[in-house]
Amino acid sequence: MNDWTIILRSLRARLFSTVTTAALVAIAVALMLVLLMMRDAAQQAFRRGGGDMHLLISNDQSSMVSFLNGILYANPPRAPIPWARYQQLRQSLPLGDNGYAIPTQIGDSFRGQPVMATDAEFFSRLMPNPGEPWVFAQGRAFDADFQVVLGAQAAHATGVKIGQQIALSHGTGDAAEHDHDHDEFKYEVVGILAPTGGPHDRALFTTVQSTWIIHAHERREREADGKHIETTAADLTDADRKITGVYVRLATRSNSDVPANLPQVFDLLRKDSSIVVASPSDEARKLLVIVGNIDIVFRAMAGVVLVSSAISIMIALYNSMEQRRRQIAVLRVLGCSRPRIFGLVLTESAVLGVMGAVAGLVISLMGVQAVVLLMKSKFGLVVHPTLTPDVAIVVAGAAVALAALAGLVPAVIAYGTPVAKNLKPLA
Amino acid sequence: MSSTFKHHGDTGTPRPALSIRGLRFRYDGAVDTPADAWTIDLPSLDVATGEQVLLTGGSGTGKSTLLHLIAGLVDPAEGTVLVDGTNIHTLAGAPRDRFRGTAIGMIFQTFNLLAGFSALENVLAALMFSSVPPGRHMELADAALSRLGITRIHATPEELSVGQQQRVAVARAVVCRPVLVLADEPTASLDPENAEHAMDLVQSVCRELGAALVCVSHDPAMAARFERREKLGSLIRAAIPSPGAGAATTMGGSR
Repeated sequence: MNDWTIILRSLRARLFSTVTTAALVAIAVALMLVLLMMRDAAQQAFRRGGGDMHLLISNDQSSMVSFLNGILYANPPRAPIPWARYQQLRQSLPLGDNGYAIPTQIGDSFRGQPVMATDAEFFSRLMPNPGEPWVFAQGRAFDADFQVVLGAQAAHATGVKIGQQIALSHGTGDAAEHDHDHDEFKYEVVGILAPTGGPHDRALFTTVQSTWIIHAHERREREADGKHIETTAADLTDADRKITGVYVRLATRSNSDVPANLPQVFDLLRKDSSIVVASPSDEARKLLVIVGNIDIVFRAMAGVVLVSSAISIMIALYNSMEQRRRQIAVLRVLGCSRPRIFGLVLTESAVLGVMGAVAGLVISLMGVQAVVLLMKSKFGLVVHPTLTPDVAIVVAGAAVALAALAGLVPAVIAYGTPVAKNLKPLA
Repeated sequence: MSSTFKHHGDTGTPRPALSIRGLRFRYDGAVDTPADAWTIDLPSLDVATGEQVLLTGGSGTGKSTLLHLIAGLVDPAEGTVLVDGTNIHTLAGAPRDRFRGTAIGMIFQTFNLLAGFSALENVLAALMFSSVPPGRHMELADAALSRLGITRIHATPEELSVGQQQRVAVARAVVCRPVLVLADEPTASLDPENAEHAMDLVQSVCRELGAALVCVSHDPAMAARFERREKLGSLIRAAIPSPGAGAATTMGGSR
């Protein structure tokens, strides 16, 4: 028999109140932890978008729009870069043996999933996550025109299989529904990528020349006044050859990921008014600041739930004081001092916080795993939420501290409980 | 029973379990009492070690209040209460509580057992706040419950009969081997048969332990059980000399 026996008996005597109050704390803690974990996962996903590239070149309105359109597939870029300009850039950039300047062209879609036209280096040189090359879940990379590779989520969302023939639509997202299909040209599905956790998971990839051909075909059809024509690479003009972006990685030393000349190259490209240059890592950081404001709102909401749970602890204990006055009076008669009574109530309140925090921790871990599985199975999205011990300790500690704080008022009431008055026989 | 003890200040004489001098108490804001009247106005009362005293009186005469004053649960306006030679009202909060927990046992009309706690835990609770070393708690609690005939020591008060509950309350009151046991209408909630049995136990256990017993009751049947009986008349101020054996006395001094 010790103070813990008294505390646990008291909690057990009000089992419903104990469970509901602890559950409220658990929900608040779980909500807070899940938000923090998913925020970290989202940050990782943003950072993954740029893969191992150093720069993104486009002709968009700003570097942020360039990042949103060229990497996150927000909208099809409106202003193209002529192929000849791309070749100039490629020659002028210090790419060395291990750098790359991969052309990208975004504008078509398949069943709502964006299509990126690029070249073979996209799979052989670019790494979707630094240090992690592409992995094919099925099939292989394209090695000819009118072959297509699907990202993991795109494959999941469309249900397309290897070997299947598909036709792309002009435009992306909702715009694609109002546009037209390139039915004359069928693409063969040759590969499906393993999930990377980045935005490319929801895209389809084909060669830039395939895209040029189908758009050149549309131009030629208009010029032919509806006559049946066929279009091949030989029919392409310089005007047909255009891209919307360039993924650039400069030459680096084997032991370094960031080249020393990156700032100079960046400044040099920025002075060229015909293009927009963006640093994907910088843009991801800026985007996180914007998203961070929403994140603050969510965290504030979780904080409000946490404070509400603390208030509910206070109310539960406060209400129980009426029933417990006799018990407190008896304990005082038996020799329990006022400070010890105060400590018992405060500890009881903190115990509710500990119970809630532990349950919240377990719920958050289970909940996040459920979200991870759901996102993977339903959307093909791979997120890696992680809970660091310091975050868990801070959130759980805050819950316990708030709970203890909530016990102050009931503890003061218990401290001041008049003994003689509460020993009287019940009527 | 002889109650001709002397005060502990007297050389070579046993120290009284309880010694009250000039005790005056009035509830704050008592509107129906004249300004110069006291709820308790007790010039003196001595109870020897091992002595058993019955305090009688009608409702509102301050019987329970006197017990609360003796236990140090309320403070008097004037006067001293010495329990085993210690002026309980001069002790600060925690030391006073610890002293009460160790030196005084209390038995209540409605037992006031801790709900949800087993009989054993109720008795252990008394030891928990006393100065008895923790290593002896289980042994003393077991012995007290066994002495009072409680075999279902893990049963909660709700699972025990009224008579058993009263015995657990008695075990809790005496487990710390107090010098003074205060019983406030201990049989008021019991039927005559259980009341008889309970008082037999209370009195015999106190006798065994050498603890003084101060019992307040308005039950006329109790009178025969006590050699010393005092009638507590509020608002009456007169010295109470050490009473003669078997005589009923009034706090006002009439015997």
